[in-house]
Amino acid sequence: MPNDWKSYKPLLLPAIKDLHEISVYEKNNGYQALRKILKDRAMWSPQNVINEVKTANIRGRGGAGFNAGLKWSFMPEPDGKPRYLACNGDESEPGTFKDRKIFEFNPHLFIEGAIIAAYAMQIDVIYVYIRGEYRPFVKMLQRAIDQAYEKGYLGKKVLGSDFSVEMYTHMGAGAYICGEESSLMESLEGKRGYPRVKPPFPAQRGLWGRPTTINNIETLANVPLVMDKGADWYLKIGPDTHPGPVLYGISGHLKRPGVYEYPAGMNIMTLINEVAGGIREGKKLKALIPGGSSTPPLRADMLEGVSMDANSLRDAGSMMGTAGMVVLDEDTDMVDLIWRISYFYDHESCGQCTPCRDGTGWLEKTLRKIKNGDGELRDLDLLLAICHRMEGRTICALADAAAWPVRYSIDRFRDEFERKCKKTVYAVA
Amino acid sequence: MPEIFIDHKRYEFEQPGKVLQFMLDNGMDLPFFCYHPSLSIPANCRQCIVKAGMPVFDRDRGTFKLDEKGERIIRFFPKLMTACSLDLADGMVVYTHHTDELVKQAQADNLEFILINHPLDCPICDQAGECPLQILTYKYGPEGSRFEHKKVHKPKAIQLGPRVILDAERCINCTRCVRFTDEISKTHQLTIISRGDKNYPMTANDQVFDDPYSLNTVDICPVGALTSADFRFKARVWEMNQTPGIDISNGKGCSTWVWTRDNLVMRITPRFNEAVNDHWMPDSGRLSYRTFNENRISKPWLRPDNKEQVRTTWNNAELTLREELDKVESSQILVIGSPHASVEDNYTFKKYFESLGVTDFYYLPHVVPGAGDDLLLSDDQAPNTLGVRALGYSEIAGDKLPKIVTSAKPKLVFILDDDILDRSDLTSSHLEDAFTVYWGTNHNGTSLAANLVIPITTAVEHAASYINVDGRIQRTVPAKETLYTNRRLNLEMSMGRLDHYGTKFDNWVTDANRIDCIPAWEFITRLNPGSDTFAWESSRQILAEIGGKLNIFRGVTYEQMDEENGIQLNLEQDSEVNTV
Repeated sequence: MPNDWKSYKPLLLPAIKDLHEISVYEKNNGYQALRKILKDRAMWSPQNVINEVKTANIRGRGGAGFNAGLKWSFMPEPDGKPRYLACNGDESEPGTFKDRKIFEFNPHLFIEGAIIAAYAMQIDVIYVYIRGEYRPFVKMLQRAIDQAYEKGYLGKKVLGSDFSVEMYTHMGAGAYICGEESSLMESLEGKRGYPRVKPPFPAQRGLWGRPTTINNIETLANVPLVMDKGADWYLKIGPDTHPGPVLYGISGHLKRPGVYEYPAGMNIMTLINEVAGGIREGKKLKALIPGGSSTPPLRADMLEGVSMDANSLRDAGSMMGTAGMVVLDEDTDMVDLIWRISYFYDHESCGQCTPCRDGTGWLEKTLRKIKNGDGELRDLDLLLAICHRMEGRTICALADAAAWPVRYSIDRFRDEFERKCKKTVYAVA
Repeated sequence: MPEIFIDHKRYEFEQPGKVLQFMLDNGMDLPFFCYHPSLSIPANCRQCIVKAGMPVFDRDRGTFKLDEKGERIIRFFPKLMTACSLDLADGMVVYTHHTDELVKQAQADNLEFILINHPLDCPICDQAGECPLQILTYKYGPEGSRFEHKKVHKPKAIQLGPRVILDAERCINCTRCVRFTDEISKTHQLTIISRGDKNYPMTANDQVFDDPYSLNTVDICPVGALTSADFRFKARVWEMNQTPGIDISNGKGCSTWVWTRDNLVMRITPRFNEAVNDHWMPDSGRLSYRTFNENRISKPWLRPDNKEQVRTTWNNAELTLREELDKVESSQILVIGSPHASVEDNYTFKKYFESLGVTDFYYLPHVVPGAGDDLLLSDDQAPNTLGVRALGYSEIAGDKLPKIVTSAKPKLVFILDDDILDRSDLTSSHLEDAFTVYWGTNHNGTSLAANLVIPITTAVEHAASYINVDGRIQRTVPAKETLYTNRRLNLEMSMGRLDHYGTKFDNWVTDANRIDCIPAWEFITRLNPGSDTFAWESSRQILAEIGGKLNIFRGVTYEQMDEENGIQLNLEQDSEVNTV
């Protein structure tokens, strides 16, 4: 963990007034990375840009934590036909609210990153998929895009070069599953948001059957930083395995919940107690959901020395996810919480694969039974069995996302579940 | 040749493909619902799940890595894979439920999931008996369910369109119906609405599911969610006999299954034929089954002295016909064949009148321009237009028919199974001076205008061949008994449960359903007792005789047609189209 976090100067969301205006952004070193690349095309060939980003090891901020540059390098050679960049601003995971901050306070950083990504992969069309509930933020982003068009950063012949790129926003209609990259593509194509079977991967057959890369908004916002100051500089921020700044969306029973930007790998207890001001009303910490509702919850005693990076959280028994931390105090009823999460996944399962379609409903109904005090001890074993049967048996990861919170919270808070259950009485034959 | 190991057995494959299709082609079993060989692969039912792995390749040596026992090291995919979407790969190792406990458990688990919201109303469901969900649950499913909550309730008995009814609770969301309208009929009329376990197929906002191919979705529905409005609640699958046939309501001649019970055709469904109709068939062809049951001509009818038609005996019909023939010269006879009748009927019909000295033979084509599409409907509404043409009948347009009748002034007119009064400018007044003999299957305007009506068998009562619009000759098999045929004696006819165990005294056997009719050729043999030229005993013999006379039919046999689902004929060879 970096010791100097208190002196850390935000890079993604710097404290500059009116940064969302293009003139202010330009004054503050904005679009310099793009200018630099387009000025020296020999030095910054698309391949070199990809290599630089790959070296910087920007781990995808959408949840999977995959190296963004490596993902870009999967795109096949251009063949003169269309290819696409889709930017994922669906942000539908409960507990996650970071991309809206970028749309609101620093949209040009993201736009610049997307343009650089399009240049690196030789793409000329960018779609920005934003959840429909974000109507005000879509307007903000659209305004920024219009400004970028006016200044010639977007459109035909960007900054006088032979590189052209268009950017369109697209509003989702409120489905959680459309944040999954392949159903995001289906939704963009105007179809029902059903995840696609992989392979083929989007880099082979994506939007309208053409090579496509999908990146999270925050991931792309990191790109100008890397291209501006270099991969070596970027690698020095945060832990080696998970470099760069991260927007921590901290919510729950805290004194100061909010989105905070700090390097990756922050100590979790520091984030809770110092950054977010500690648990409200002096209560004790009970549990933490580290990266959005689908990541396994951690008990307070499991958080000792754990930091917010992919490896540390994996060792602790959870995942980094979107860094949308949900902090829960001692009064939290875990059964109620897990039921609510299950209710969400039951509501949001697209209904394509059998185990998820019917399994999420079964989980929800069983948890509701326990919550209402009608549960029996055998129901806990049944829940674990259902989770076991859902995991890894579906096209996308929604079934896993629905099963993990249930499975791990029964595992980690079993006595609390047992207290709500009646003893199973078996009929004697 | 690339190889694949399934359940420790080695198989070779030539073409790239998917594991599930390869297993089905090689006679192996694997449960599945959403997969259909003619549709895209959504892999959403997750039922055909298998454990699969690839051997580890040693790049330096260019061989597969081996363990200490000298066997290939297999790296298994981290998750169980759906065989339907898994590409065949050289060296791939696949374990199914036969060899892997986890796979067996996963398949049972999946069925448990499918069944938790399924109503399990098999006793009142039309699909029972031919339901993949029912069959696979018995075969691979869990013994019971641990689901103790209320099932999700969805709309039931919704009339999606004129021919299809939806029971949304039974739906297992395989999306076959949606994919059918998207990919095959291309009307895009169905979609899945709602989400999760509440979803089901539906048409967009009040749109009517009137796709001309809508009933195919009923066939491919792996549960009883989509049922046919027409066939619903009429018969159980196990009560019916299933006989191969062809669709004679259209020139395309789709291969069909004819489902009969108690000598009534209950429904017609498509039979897979790669060369003609794949797995599909238009709704119009299915609903044409009524013509085989209803409004049939049973027993000959005679109009004595231009009064009302009355039923008569076969002997009387025969004697009347002979009398009329004796009265006229051959030049006073007009013979009209039929594109609706089979090759054999048309051939014997023509041969008989040729023996009487008639030289001109006509047929009236039945083409409705614009009625066809580029899928399985042709403009030609008759099943055998090319057949009747190949036999040397001359095509005559509907408006020219009255001219021929008025100029030739025939005394005796013979019409083979075709409602020509309905389709031409000819009216019954044109035929007033002539004695008209109609050989037909169903009562219609032409039969009512006739002086003598000879009942003949339909495509589901005789074995006969038809040539479709693409020049493919296909044949039918008798599915329905006439008064003179018997399943127990005709080995070609299928025997169902009721046929096996029923006697004519049982209440489920109705003799009235057996029509008093004979094939046209049989009536001709009756007209010529003792003649060597007209001594056929079966339509098989007739086809052999045609093959000896006309080049295009040379070597064409029922056996080959059965084997290959029809034979493509080279119609350019020696037939020229005669038009008048």
